[in-house]
Amino acid sequence: MHIGIIIGLGGGVGFLSGLFGVGGGFLMTPLLIFFGVPSPVAVATEANQIVASSVSGVLAHMRRGNVDFKMGSILLIGGVIGSSLGVWLFAFLRELGQIDLVIKLCYVVFLGIIGSLMLTESVRAILRTRRPGARRVKLHQHNWMHGLPFKMRFRRSKLYISALLPLAIGAFVGILSAIMGVGGGFIMVPAMIYLLGMPTSVVVGTSLFQIIFVTANVTFLQSVQTQTVDFMLAGLLLFGGVIGAQFGTRAGALLRGEQLRGLLAILVLLVCVKLGYDLAVRPDDLFSVELLK
Amino acid sequence: MTRLFGLIISLITAVVLTAAPTAASSRLVADLSNKSIAITTGFHGTELLLFGAVDGRAGDDIIVIVTGPPTDIAQRRKDNRAGIWVNVETNIWKQAPSFYNILATRPLDKIASIEMMQQLGIGPAHLGLTLLPEGGTGPAIDANRFIEALASNMASIHLWPAQTGTVSLAQDALFRATLDLPANIVTGDYDIRVLHLRDGMAISEDRTRLTIEKGGLTADIYNLAHDYSALYGIFAIAFAVAAGWLAAAAFRRN
Repeated sequence: MHIGIIIGLGGGVGFLSGLFGVGGGFLMTPLLIFFGVPSPVAVATEANQIVASSVSGVLAHMRRGNVDFKMGSILLIGGVIGSSLGVWLFAFLRELGQIDLVIKLCYVVFLGIIGSLMLTESVRAILRTRRPGARRVKLHQHNWMHGLPFKMRFRRSKLYISALLPLAIGAFVGILSAIMGVGGGFIMVPAMIYLLGMPTSVVVGTSLFQIIFVTANVTFLQSVQTQTVDFMLAGLLLFGGVIGAQFGTRAGALLRGEQLRGLLAILVLLVCVKLGYDLAVRPDDLFSVELLK
Repeated sequence: MTRLFGLIISLITAVVLTAAPTAASSRLVADLSNKSIAITTGFHGTELLLFGAVDGRAGDDIIVIVTGPPTDIAQRRKDNRAGIWVNVETNIWKQAPSFYNILATRPLDKIASIEMMQQLGIGPAHLGLTLLPEGGTGPAIDANRFIEALASNMASIHLWPAQTGTVSLAQDALFRATLDLPANIVTGDYDIRVLHLRDGMAISEDRTRLTIEKGGLTADIYNLAHDYSALYGIFAIAFAVAAGWLAAAAFRRN
């Protein structure tokens, strides 16, 4: 793969991640696969890159005090457990020759769900701004989840909830992080807002904080177990990504929130459809080979 | 050994072809422009010159077979399950060449019969490879059913070029060929076999060796990744943290 293409990809996805305020792993990994990088390498390398982009992102949020370290720590304990499990699962599926399929199916399912939810939400928001006076939706309600044991107080998030909840969310996203090569922000952020009921201001910073550790864990375990991390590739992607993100952030200031979310939703759905289409269409070649040691 | 074999073949040919006893004694010598190659950062493949001399006459042919170090190759077959295409069968080719390229003075079918190619072990179908079901247990599978698919897959990743390469033979004595080695070649010892054919029969043969190894920074990183994988992981993380920090610092004012 040509160096220019790699930096260009990094720049393009960096632009989008700056524009939409997302990590970009869920776009970068499928793109790397489209460009012919073997899926296991794409996933493991992207985890490595996300470590870097999350570090640079979290620093900005820390300066503004937008990181709930206590919540982040509970999430990351779950995340480390989940991602370790995920890497083990990854190695197992790889041996079966099914890792490619599972990676792509995970993408189709999660991108499909998140994309559709975001699209409906943003379309509603756009319609609502055109019809002022519409009622607001209550942010979070009390339900069975608030009856769970091991309650903890999270001052920064103004919450008093069971530690099991963030632990479980962290673990779930950790598994996905290992298998999909994503930070998992696109699942973590909605889960924190809608399931945990955290204030929006601390959500992104806290999510980034825990993503650093989870993706670092994935990087380490993939290095040891599957040797699929290519940090040269990660470095080049990052180089392009850092620059792209700066332009993206500026471009993002010109658009409104719900329009941005709508555009992102369409992008997410496009990637989902492309991956799904590739799985459903008869491949040109039914056979594939892999050189073993 | 090969010389001796060549001599025996020559002798037999000499006895059979009593009409031209002198022409059948043939000598063949081949060499490479470079005996060892180091794969360094930015390796995009390389070209090597194979050259040599042969005691030939008009109408003779030269065939060159380049064989990479043997490796097990997993071959997977997809089928439609519930609307999507998934891998349903995996078989393992035992100790198949990781690289396989044939070069010749003319199209192979013009040089010798299929029976002769089979006897000489030229062409993927004539390598005598063993195909086992995944896990290595159970009876061997009929390799003929899958060898074409293997050759086509290996060709698509440039490791078994489908096209027969060119060997040029000047004045029936000096031959040369350019060996094209792709960027993704496997490291190890490569065997280069040169055959001299006359009237569809091999009359002499020579072999030479090529060593391909990783060199420079790429080698260090590769070795680190495989021999000290934990260290490599920690290094990759440290690198990412440092890069992220640097990026944040560089654009802080923005």
